Amino acid sequence: MSAALVELSDVGFRYPGPAPARRFGLSGLSFSIGAGEILGVIGPNSAGKTTLIRLLTRVLDPTDGRVLVEGVALSEWPRWRLAQRIAVVPQELPPAMPFTVEELVLMGRYPHAPRRFFETSADRAVARESMEATGVLPLAAQPLGALSGGERQRAVLARALAQRPRLLVLDEPTAHLDLRYQAECVGLLRRLNRDEGLTIVLVSHDLNLAAEVSDRLLLLAGGRAVRVGAPAEVLDEALLASVYGCAVVVDENVATGRPVVHVVYPEPLPKGGGNTEVRS
Amino acid sequence: MTAEARLARVLIALGLGLTAVVAAALFVGSAGLTPGAVIEVLAGRATADSTERVVVLSLRLPRIAVAAIAGGALAVAGVGFQALTRNPLAEPSVIGVSSGAAFGVVVAQLTGGGAGLGDTFRLVAFGLAGALVAGITVYLVATTQAGFPVPTLLLSGVIVGVFFSAAITVITSLVDINRLGGIIHWLLGNIGPVAPASLLVFAVLAAIGVLLILLRARELNVLALGEESAVQLGVDAERLKRQIFFGAALLTAAVVAFTGPIGFVGLIVPHVLRMLLGSDNRFLVPAAFVGGAIFLLGADTLARNIVAPAELSVGVITSFCGAPFFVYLLRTRYRGGLP
Amino acid sequence: MLAAGPPRARLGACVVFFALLVAALPRPGLALTLTDMTGRVVTLAAPPQRIISLVPSATEIIFALGGEERLVGVTDFCDFPPAARQKRSVGGMIAPNLEVITTLTPDLVIGTREGNRYETFDQIRRLGIPVYLVHAGNVGEMLDAVGRLGHLTGRADAVAPLAARLSQRIHAVSTAVKSLRRPRVLYVLWPDPLIVPARASLITELIGLAGGDSITSAQSGDYPRFSIEAAVARAPEVIILADHGSGTGMQQRHQWDRLKSLPAVRTGRLHSVDGGILHRYGPRVVDGLDQLARAIHPEAFR
Repeated sequence: MSAALVELSDVGFRYPGPAPARRFGLSGLSFSIGAGEILGVIGPNSAGKTTLIRLLTRVLDPTDGRVLVEGVALSEWPRWRLAQRIAVVPQELPPAMPFTVEELVLMGRYPHAPRRFFETSADRAVARESMEATGVLPLAAQPLGALSGGERQRAVLARALAQRPRLLVLDEPTAHLDLRYQAECVGLLRRLNRDEGLTIVLVSHDLNLAAEVSDRLLLLAGGRAVRVGAPAEVLDEALLASVYGCAVVVDENVATGRPVVHVVYPEPLPKGGGNTEVRS
Repeated sequence: MTAEARLARVLIALGLGLTAVVAAALFVGSAGLTPGAVIEVLAGRATADSTERVVVLSLRLPRIAVAAIAGGALAVAGVGFQALTRNPLAEPSVIGVSSGAAFGVVVAQLTGGGAGLGDTFRLVAFGLAGALVAGITVYLVATTQAGFPVPTLLLSGVIVGVFFSAAITVITSLVDINRLGGIIHWLLGNIGPVAPASLLVFAVLAAIGVLLILLRARELNVLALGEESAVQLGVDAERLKRQIFFGAALLTAAVVAFTGPIGFVGLIVPHVLRMLLGSDNRFLVPAAFVGGAIFLLGADTLARNIVAPAELSVGVITSFCGAPFFVYLLRTRYRGGLP
Repeated sequence: MLAAGPPRARLGACVVFFALLVAALPRPGLALTLTDMTGRVVTLAAPPQRIISLVPSATEIIFALGGEERLVGVTDFCDFPPAARQKRSVGGMIAPNLEVITTLTPDLVIGTREGNRYETFDQIRRLGIPVYLVHAGNVGEMLDAVGRLGHLTGRADAVAPLAARLSQRIHAVSTAVKSLRRPRVLYVLWPDPLIVPARASLITELIGLAGGDSITSAQSGDYPRFSIEAAVARAPEVIILADHGSGTGMQQRHQWDRLKSLPAVRTGRLHSVDGGILHRYGPRVVDGLDQLARAIHPEAFR
């Protein structure tokens, strides 16, 4: 692992307001993201995964600790310069986006010349490459509203790639993709990582996807980093059982040697059991 | 074709349309001048202080200028509010900002006199204060975690509009009956020939408002991704929203101060242009300015000719076009299908 | 009807009309069935003793007739004569306060369709208080209103002297300007949008009596909107700007000064008149007529 691209030291964040809002906060978070690595971020709902993305992209400023990007405190970065380094693929687009695929992808060029009114031909070339990489080039002139969920997701990925970032943050990237595109997406991410040295933070509920793709995993729970390390270290049966509150079995993917997590689903209650009380 | 060339082409096409409407507006009117007489005046061959010269140069031309600037300003304000709220039905009159500005202007009209330059600024300042108060109120009432849903935005716009209309009624009921007629006609929206100095003020205010929005058109596109994504792309979303809101409110207030509240221009023009040009604000904002000018100038030319020598309020005509258009949009395009 | 003849003949007709009317009115002390100025039948148990006026013009007339003792309530806009301010106010013209009206226990409310609302009349009638509507679109109707209000307030004796005084003032003005050329006059009730007096308005007749020729007299209605262009094309020789306070009257003069083709502008004949006087059909209308005549024919009043 080479030099750290992003370093968090003792980072905490509390949302203002009453207790329900505060449970999404973070505290005492210290880890680093090495240049060129793929870091998977996993954890149960409300563990603080979305808050972590917001802190990495300066949508929120930490209430404690500090975040360094390329050794410089995040608060020192102008937003547009930060957007040249870090790109985010959000879970989904707003439902009524009235733009075409190409218009969307070109938005990724904004941070490279925020004062410019129109994109240059160089910007267009980058956008084309990004669309080609994600397979949406034939859809360039289509309105986003006419696309399937998978196509939209790839268009958004193309927009993030058009930022030409060093760090790509993906929030549940495969949520809307069927198996084929999931596979393609993972292949694409691996290729970008290997060929372009792109650093990737993959936030996912899918433990097996994260285990398969990531060099390291970060397990968040209750706003704290429970464990950081190689997938096999983090995906520990006892640890997962305590964090997720359900029984799991971890075995190994024979093809890749990566851990695979299986949920042990509870047996159904015996018929005529405790249900009668609920009905009354 | 590069984007610059496409924009130029769009603006040339719309410019030709505007030229045609300006020509029509110059040649028709209740004074019944012959086309030849109008051409004589335009060629500078009319005798000084002749009726023809005064009608063309002191009445028709300034009125054309006011109509064109007001139409352009309203359409751009519409684009601004729509991008800001990410809601294509937002429009100065629909979201109550016009009513707020009208309230401010009525207060200014009744508390001070005159029609000099100082008074012009006073009217605009009061109108702007009213527009900002109304806009901020709608913003606070309508905002939810999911942005500005159509029903919430429309309802809070209606509520704020009703409130300020009521406030105007309170004022007018304190006014002598002889002033009332004038104020009621003003409230319907009217375009009249404005003195050159005031016209210049109007043009400068409109230019400021349009530039505030036009220069941020690219960021407005990015804002359509949602605020969080826009910030992650390097946009200072808070500053952007403040600037667009101020620009659109300034445009609304300036138009209301000079013509009274005129509805629906900011809804119809951007919608038609979106169908023709797409949603890229870098095309939409400049095209809306010219398109708005065409629409309102056309409406005003109708208003001053169909019942000549009496006149209709131009706001009546835009509302006759706008209200059915609004219903059509609600019933077809946005039937429960918007954020 | 009256508008057709020359001012002098019209005036004569008015006086005759009003004299007949006086003769036709019933004596006090009996239950009265009257027809108001809009043709509605109004039944009174007895001659009214406690009257509320919702009409500033009517208030002025009642004071001029000396009938103010029976006047128990007026509106906020009843500001003339100054003594009218001493009367209890029932609020504005559009929405007077019904509770105040009730507590004043009036036996008659005088209203008008120009400024009051039908709803108000209905509400007052439901309280058991009769409503009598007045209206005046010309001098004849104004004198008619004087006669009617005189009888309603028990001041029938004062009607003839007041009517004679008004008629005489009008006659004096119209005589002074009779032989003079009648210039084209543009009367501006409201500058932006332009609102002017038309066929059915008292102002149009007053302009005629003052020796002018209103360029908007052929328009239908009373106070329609009018195209500035059409006004310019009719080349008014005198422009009269009604003053209703801020933004009107001479304050709008510069707006007209730009229109240099207008004979009125070239000769500097822009004048301001008090809208508060001319747009009420009270006795001060003759003062307004005087202002109009001096504006239109200054040479006749040196």
